[in-house]
Amino acid sequence: MSIYHRPIRIVVLLAFLLSLIAGCGAPAAGPAAPGEAPAPAAGAMTEVGTPRAETLIVQTFDGKTNAPDNMNPLMSGYAIWRGFRELAWGYLWEMDTATGKSYPELAAELPVVLNDEYTQFEIRLRPGVYWSDGVEFTANDVIFTLDTYFNNRDKLTYFGVPVITNYVKSYEKVDDYTLRVETVKPAYDFATTMGVYTWGSAFNIVPKHVFEKVEDLAAFKNEYPVTLGAYTLKSYDPNGQWHLWERRADWDRSATAPLGEPKAKYVFYKNFGDEQTRTLAFIKNEYDVDTFMSPDSIDAAKAQNPKVRTFADVFPYHDMNDACAYGIIINNLKAPLDKPEVRWALALSLDLQNVGINSMSGQFKGSALPMPDTQITRPAFFEPLQAWLNELTLPDGYKPYNPNFGADMVTRLTEMGVDPAQLPTGDAVTGNFGLGWWKADPAEAEKLMNSVGMTKGADGFYTLPDGSPWTLELVIPSDWNKVMQRVGFSIADSWTKAGFKVNARQVDNAEFTTVQNTNALLQVMVNWTTSCVFNTNFVNNWRTIRAENLKPADSNELITGNTPRIDNQFIFDKIAEAGAMDMSKPEFLEAGQEIIKEMITNMYYINMMNIPTTIPTNETYWTNFPKQDNAYAVPYTWWSSFKKILANIEPVTQ
Amino acid sequence: MSQPTKPRKLRKFNLRLAIGLTIVTILAAGSLILPFFTSVDPAAQGTYLKNLPPSAKHLLGTNALGQDIFWYLVFAVRNSLLLGVTVSIGITAISTFLGLSAGFIGGWYERVVVVFMDTFITIPVLPILIVLGAIVRGNTSFFVVAAILIVFGWAWNARTIRSMALTLREREFINMARFSGAGVMPIIGREIFPYVYAFMVVGFINTILFAINTEAALAVIGLSNVVIPTLGSIIFWALNYNAIMIGQPLWIIAPIVTTVALFLGLFLTSTGYNELFAERRGVA
Amino acid sequence: MKLAQYVVQRFIGYLLVLFIGITITFFLPRLMPGDPINNYISQVQARAGQSLSAEATQQLRDSLAELYGLQGDIFTQYRNYLARVVRLDFGPSFTYYPEPVSNILLDAMPWTAGLLITTTLLSWLIGNSIGLIAGYFNKRRWATVLEVVGIILYPIPYYILALVVILLFAYWIALFPLSPTFLPGPMTWNKAVSIIYNSFLPALTLILAGFGWNVLAMKALAVATKEDAYVQFARLKGTTDRTRMTNYVFRNAMLPQITALVLSLGFIFNGAIQTEVIFSYPGIGMTMRAAAGAGDYNLLYGAIILTIFSVATAALILDLIYPLFDPRIRLGG
Repeated sequence: MSIYHRPIRIVVLLAFLLSLIAGCGAPAAGPAAPGEAPAPAAGAMTEVGTPRAETLIVQTFDGKTNAPDNMNPLMSGYAIWRGFRELAWGYLWEMDTATGKSYPELAAELPVVLNDEYTQFEIRLRPGVYWSDGVEFTANDVIFTLDTYFNNRDKLTYFGVPVITNYVKSYEKVDDYTLRVETVKPAYDFATTMGVYTWGSAFNIVPKHVFEKVEDLAAFKNEYPVTLGAYTLKSYDPNGQWHLWERRADWDRSATAPLGEPKAKYVFYKNFGDEQTRTLAFIKNEYDVDTFMSPDSIDAAKAQNPKVRTFADVFPYHDMNDACAYGIIINNLKAPLDKPEVRWALALSLDLQNVGINSMSGQFKGSALPMPDTQITRPAFFEPLQAWLNELTLPDGYKPYNPNFGADMVTRLTEMGVDPAQLPTGDAVTGNFGLGWWKADPAEAEKLMNSVGMTKGADGFYTLPDGSPWTLELVIPSDWNKVMQRVGFSIADSWTKAGFKVNARQVDNAEFTTVQNTNALLQVMVNWTTSCVFNTNFVNNWRTIRAENLKPADSNELITGNTPRIDNQFIFDKIAEAGAMDMSKPEFLEAGQEIIKEMITNMYYINMMNIPTTIPTNETYWTNFPKQDNAYAVPYTWWSSFKKILANIEPVTQ
Repeated sequence: MSQPTKPRKLRKFNLRLAIGLTIVTILAAGSLILPFFTSVDPAAQGTYLKNLPPSAKHLLGTNALGQDIFWYLVFAVRNSLLLGVTVSIGITAISTFLGLSAGFIGGWYERVVVVFMDTFITIPVLPILIVLGAIVRGNTSFFVVAAILIVFGWAWNARTIRSMALTLREREFINMARFSGAGVMPIIGREIFPYVYAFMVVGFINTILFAINTEAALAVIGLSNVVIPTLGSIIFWALNYNAIMIGQPLWIIAPIVTTVALFLGLFLTSTGYNELFAERRGVA
Repeated sequence: MKLAQYVVQRFIGYLLVLFIGITITFFLPRLMPGDPINNYISQVQARAGQSLSAEATQQLRDSLAELYGLQGDIFTQYRNYLARVVRLDFGPSFTYYPEPVSNILLDAMPWTAGLLITTTLLSWLIGNSIGLIAGYFNKRRWATVLEVVGIILYPIPYYILALVVILLFAYWIALFPLSPTFLPGPMTWNKAVSIIYNSFLPALTLILAGFGWNVLAMKALAVATKEDAYVQFARLKGTTDRTRMTNYVFRNAMLPQITALVLSLGFIFNGAIQTEVIFSYPGIGMTMRAAAGAGDYNLLYGAIILTIFSVATAALILDLIYPLFDPRIRLGG
């Protein structure tokens, strides 16, 4: 190894680094020339041996599962997320995710109320529905399931078992297609509790002829379930990476028959790995529908493959009507967060435009009310409250609302060099970016902070009223939810610049849930649970905001729902009052608006944006997915919308 | 092999060391001095427009968070080096003390130390770190990261030093010192330490690498403090924003090339020093 | 006699290492924030149509504590736990209740073991062979080239290496799948081929990662050894380069490399975890990461104990066969 070899060494070093760079830079060139999609192979087969042209391939919602063989819906760990709910099962009443309205699925009609107290109901079943093994579905199955819930409530871990057994008082069969149920308390939500409340049902009906032969229900796997839906399980990966479903020959006797024939003969759910490999696989047409890919990756995929499409062709590209919103849960009892001035200062120091641009390339929809701004909630709450928001003044006379939020976003994005053709115009501006949000005004925030004796110290950060340093702890998800993780770090960045010393603590899923449910470690947290409104029934989400559920600021005990520790008698009374109202009456919505005003005036909860759920599709093999200009359903591959999507997609003729 | 190589060899060893030291010095001095020439916090988001290509103003362009990639890298190298040196000081001190005392004192004390040494060598660290990370996560100040690395990193060096001490223990001059009534500590300090010194220097350099790389691995899975710029946190952010796919390869290539260069520098320094020392010993 | 003493000593050390490892594993997760019972109950309450009564909640809590094996104070739990670990009973998984943890681990173990044993051996053999040749012929240009490759490969963070491998061999040149698809069913020739095909990229990454250090270390050892008197003597006897390289240099330089392998087993396992996560490879690493995320501690410490057990056992086996290669111990000298 003499010194004369030095040049060789440098050459090799350079060559090696170059190949590394070539590796990293490769996607820029891509497998095909940019803008030209790789052609689909005619007669191609999938890795699991089904014709690609007849197979719809979907990224799993839950990544990998460790219990792929558990299809017993009476146990907590069953594999609900990979087709069970959408392809295999049927429920008494489904909920249309787009409208928030219940519709009968196994039932023939919505529940019939038998008494004025709203405690007795008649359920009428639709005749002609068969289990996948040819046995007819009847009231006997429903009664058997209720018996099973009540008789095995100590053994069955499905959360619906305690829900239903604490909800239903008695039940009786009238005939094969009719039964009657009495509830413990008045049940205005009968159709959503006994049927579906968007994500699934507490009441999973099981086939009597199968389950009555099972000795140990808790150990029963139900590996290849007898189904009510249009598909049966064909095979699955024991390692939990994929599930393959096949359409029933007698799909027209299944629970979802009224929606029409599902077009894909096979539906293949697979985990395509982390985002890097997923993006690559998506570009290469390896699958058709993705979920939660980050906006940047989708933009990259679109640039590489024109068959990749987003929900809309203009900003913010994705369907922003998720039923939940990201917001900041504040421990409202913990000093100094117990002062409304501090909470308002946090809201006004949060530059939501920057946060959205840094974390999501500006692809989001802001929402100032403590709920998501959707086609369901906008006419009910957002539009009626706009005038009030415009006039809203803080005690010092400051008007915090910025109704031009959307227009400002358009300006910002134009400055960043976004093609104006990609930006919304006219009504679409507020439609896509939201009706408005709080002003980003650190100067006003400082005034508010100073008014409660909190001034900036020598290091430029706010101190406590006694002059000691103050660190605000912000809990955010770690990489199990990348979008929220990014949003969280961007919020911390925004607050830090405004003078709050923030410690952004990223935590795993389990700890996140614990923090959320006890709120003890918590000062503030990025979360979504306080804001979910699937239909206009806001009570469903806020019913737990009650005086009994309030825990002291530092208590470690489990909190039932009132995670922000809201302590406000007016809100308690209004929610209780609304709980006993008929939800179809205008007074019900007015009560909701009163609650919202009170929450905003006190800034108990800083709501930010609808969950930016991204569902890009690759239309090489299948087309007619729901898009903004073809919105026959919401685009989710989970929930009831997928049942509709399957009946409406079209194969591409090769 | 043949006679004339000898003088050239000597020169070559010095050259190896010289090149290594040059690389390390450039990186260290650059990252320590340059930060005084900017007032911008490199980790602040949205300071510049996003995704700008490299230019005279932004040598490596800006990333998807609106940060200047070059300046972030400068701070990252500084912090990673500081962490590496801190951890290395800790590990070298602990492992030298435990290794020498175990090797020299012997008895049940040695057995206890050896069992712990073997345990820390055998147990795969990452699973434990995953658990530990969940406990300290987010609150991970740099000191905590350094402490974790020290706790899980001392055993390898201690093992080597102990075996060196074992062979030294039986040497003539040590026995003479012992018989002449010298205490344990003075013997270790005066007679053994000089022999172990060469290994300590090499171990010190290797440990810097260990610390930088492990911190990077922790950062990539989000267990380190990713708000502070380090070579690991750049990779965390670049992967999080899918830098390669979104047409920002520089965001990820820059830290890798820097890491490789740093390794090359430290590796050459370490082997060069080793060979130089061996040569001197041989000459002496 | 000396050999017997060596074996006994090693074995006692092995048991102590296991005991300490298992104890750490028990106590660490208990410090983790996140309470599986509270999480479950809150899930029920968040979705309950009407709130549960206090009695109903308490009842649920008691039955879950019993199901999950969480009754009693922490030392009672620790004693029960040690007794169960000896029987390889880690209780049920929390997330996938009532699936026993041992079942989940048994499903995952063959994947990790197969991948790791193959790649560790290959990486050791290839790396050392190359290092040996490069070290023996250390005056040649290509020897320098090989060393430089080692220097560059070694410090590259694991994730990046995996990413580059994926980009090069699954995307740019589409030779291998981006994410594996393993078929169920009995083992057939076709299935075996498909497993090898789908495991190629993770294996390549692991080999590359281990390769750099082996090349560097072996080269240094070979350079030093070949200057030793007995090798020079063999040269004078007129043996060929090849014989000297394998019979003289390699046999001696191999010993520290076996020791190095033993010491690095834990490290190799760390790499396996990361590889599995990147390549969605169904093994212990994936299981462990998911269990940590979900706060499923029965599963988590089952997985950690299994890895400690495997790594310690592998180290023990290597230590026990070491005398076969090292005449000094074998002959009692």
